[in-house]
Amino acid sequence: MLKVEGLTVRADSLALVHEVSFAIAPGERVGLIGESGSGKSLTALSLMGLLPEGVTAAGKATMGGNDLVGVAESRLKRLRGRDVSMVFQEPMTALNPLMRIGAQVAEVMTLHGTPRAQARQKAAELLERVRLPEPGQIARAYPHQLSGGQRQRVMLAIALANEPDLLICDEPTTALDVTVQKQMLELIAEVAPALLFITHDLAVVASVCERVLVMYGGRVVESGPIREVFTRPRHRYTEGLLAASKLTPRGTRLPTIKGSVPPAGRFPDGCVFRNRCPQATPTCETVPALTGDGHAFACWHPAD
Amino acid sequence: MRGRVNAGLVVGGLLVGLVVLAAVVSFFWTPHDPTLVDAARKLQRPGGGYLLGADKFGRDTFSQLMVGARTTLYVGIVAVGIAAVIGTPLGVVAGMTPRGWLSELIMRVNDLVFAFPALLLAVMLGAVYGAGTLTAMIAIGVATVPAFARVARAATLQVMVTDYILAARAAGRRRTAIAVRHVLPNIGSVLIVQASVSFAIAILAEAALSFLGFGTRPPTPSWGRMLQESQELLFATPRLALWPGLAIALAVLGFNLLGDGLRDFLDPKLRRIRAES
Amino acid sequence: MTLYLIKRLAVLVASTAVAGVVVFAFMALLPGDPAEVALGVNATPEAVAALRKQFGTDRAPVAQFLDWFGGLLHGDFGTSYVTSSPIGPQITDRLGVTAVLVLGGMVVALAIAVPLGTFAAVHHRNPLGAAISAVSQVGIAIPAFLAGILLVFVFAVQAQALPSGGYVPIAENPGEWLRSLLLPWLSLGLVQGAVLTRYVRSAVLDVMREDYLRTARAKGRGSTGALWRHGLRNASIPVVTVLGLQLATLLIGAVVVERVFVIPGLGDLLLNGVAGRDLLLVQGVVMVLVAAVLLINFVVDVAYHLLDPRLR
Repeated sequence: MLKVEGLTVRADSLALVHEVSFAIAPGERVGLIGESGSGKSLTALSLMGLLPEGVTAAGKATMGGNDLVGVAESRLKRLRGRDVSMVFQEPMTALNPLMRIGAQVAEVMTLHGTPRAQARQKAAELLERVRLPEPGQIARAYPHQLSGGQRQRVMLAIALANEPDLLICDEPTTALDVTVQKQMLELIAEVAPALLFITHDLAVVASVCERVLVMYGGRVVESGPIREVFTRPRHRYTEGLLAASKLTPRGTRLPTIKGSVPPAGRFPDGCVFRNRCPQATPTCETVPALTGDGHAFACWHPAD
Repeated sequence: MRGRVNAGLVVGGLLVGLVVLAAVVSFFWTPHDPTLVDAARKLQRPGGGYLLGADKFGRDTFSQLMVGARTTLYVGIVAVGIAAVIGTPLGVVAGMTPRGWLSELIMRVNDLVFAFPALLLAVMLGAVYGAGTLTAMIAIGVATVPAFARVARAATLQVMVTDYILAARAAGRRRTAIAVRHVLPNIGSVLIVQASVSFAIAILAEAALSFLGFGTRPPTPSWGRMLQESQELLFATPRLALWPGLAIALAVLGFNLLGDGLRDFLDPKLRRIRAES
Repeated sequence: MTLYLIKRLAVLVASTAVAGVVVFAFMALLPGDPAEVALGVNATPEAVAALRKQFGTDRAPVAQFLDWFGGLLHGDFGTSYVTSSPIGPQITDRLGVTAVLVLGGMVVALAIAVPLGTFAAVHHRNPLGAAISAVSQVGIAIPAFLAGILLVFVFAVQAQALPSGGYVPIAENPGEWLRSLLLPWLSLGLVQGAVLTRYVRSAVLDVMREDYLRTARAKGRGSTGALWRHGLRNASIPVVTVLGLQLATLLIGAVVVERVFVIPGLGDLLLNGVAGRDLLLVQGVVMVLVAAVLLINFVVDVAYHLLDPRLR
């Protein structure tokens, strides 16, 4: 359904995302994990045509026969909010403080052709579907009267209003309290159609997604079914990530990946991870290709 | 104090410097006596020692501009001085005791003074004590106090929540000591920027007052009055309006650019503090 | 909200009263006795005393103030000591003229500032936007009366298209009325427009950085649509607060512009009053002007609170 091929995102001459390719089947939940600076947010934004000023995307991405990249804004905006929608990280600033909630939810529907009265009606239903208490009152309220968790549910309602084929979530629970997080994740798992879930939290992605893509330095370094990737990681970076997230017996040191993520543009050529990889050899000066179907990885010296 | 030297700073500084230069030099030398009436030279065109020509009384325009610069700067300095000296302590006190009755009172009075624009104050003052440079300066100064008080208060409020202030208070420092040693130096840059902006406004106010006849009295040259005198001859001799008009515009532009440039130079974060004056 | 309204109204009333005291006290400082001045040097003490009684200036200052202020509250501005004509009608006649002048100037200013400021913000990275910024910087350096003189020179002297001064009441000749006000409106409006442009630009730039614009686009709006529908309304709030300040500045600017174009408005009345040492007249006009400023500030404050639901 969603097919991304060779997506490259640039800011001026600097490539922030390199030749990323992946696919999402209808109804499939795919996680995209990586640390800050891995390019995961930019990948998602480029699928929506919402890249910031000065940042451009090249490559190919199609969804249900429509091109998403390299397409004029006038055509793209018809797909946004209808065929593909997005929930962002920060709920506190995502809503217009001067408009009532109900109106903001209804807006996404009226923009795509739903008549006003019907949209308002559906908005109330949506607020109920995302499990907001007293949906009627919430519809008449203003954003500042809602908590962060409630606002994020509203964002989810907006995203789902036109029953899109794909829902992209960019760290939707990172800014929320832990207890609220859990509820939010359950909700997303329940209501989402096909899902592209971006996060840096391994536990979160494991609870929601079936398949996962691991990004580092603007490239996909490993992909595959979650269970497999997490129990038997092949790329050394994934291996390091998983090791660092495990609890260790008392008295031992936490395993960490040596060094730190380089700033954009300072990643080594060849294998993008080689300056931090304990297994790096001169072979790694050439870019490894993503090999394997099902469980794929881009590494010259994978773990087994 | 860090920051980049930027275009506004340079251009503004140059323009202001030009005005200051003209004023300073005028104390020692002007091409002609600007107050000297010479019927023979009436409305003489530029040339022959009269760089920009002469006005209807035969007075040299260029010399008038130079001495007029003195008035302009004089009024600006005194007015901004008054405003800063009165407004800053008021604003700092209001900022240091934000919930107190004193702070409320200060801000209410501030708003009231704000309702009396400089021109109105000058007219009133002039009506009672006779119009002139002194009344203009005092009126403009008083009318500018609210702007300084507001800016000082806003900046003080920001400074008061910083860690080193909390540390000073925890150490038991007396409030006046905190105010002088810690608050003032830190709000200094905001005040300097405000001073520059207020200077520009003061120049505009003085020009307007002189234009109306409430400013500097003749024969002391004043750019505003030169403009007023030029009005009746606008048809025949437009250059009489051009030069004082240009002088006013350039001086105000200079101070505004300087203010903006200083703001960028002293601390880019300052742009967040909106001084609505 | 209603509590705020009541509080704010109380502040307005108190401020107006205090302003009245200040204005009255000021004018009371004026040296010279109106009665003596009116009768001249050769007047007898009895005549002066009689006139004083008539004027009411023989009473204690507090009584005089209360009388005057009380009169103001029902529109009675008293009778001039100098011209012996009632002041109220003079003020009301001219108030309309000045009001039209100020409002027209505001309309011109907004018509300039809103499109230019928005444009400058949207295009803040390219040279055109920067150019607008630069031009507005120059615009604020020009006082209104200078703009007036320049406009007179261009349109009245050179092009001979518009009158260089004078005023024709609308009842007499609407066409001429309009022509007589065009240049004054432009003088006020161009300068205020430059000031407002900078504020509009700043407000729109701030809004452009907000997340909810991105949300709007994610819903399916184009970037212009998002700015239009969501951004401008939000940007208008800080601009509205500034508008109030600008109206006050415009009012004062009008005083000067009335001189340039010889328009019989309040400013003209004020200046004539001062020149003629007509104490009561000056008191009345200053009071009206100050009250207008206070009222404008009140309206703006309330509007601001109404517009932003977070404050209600």
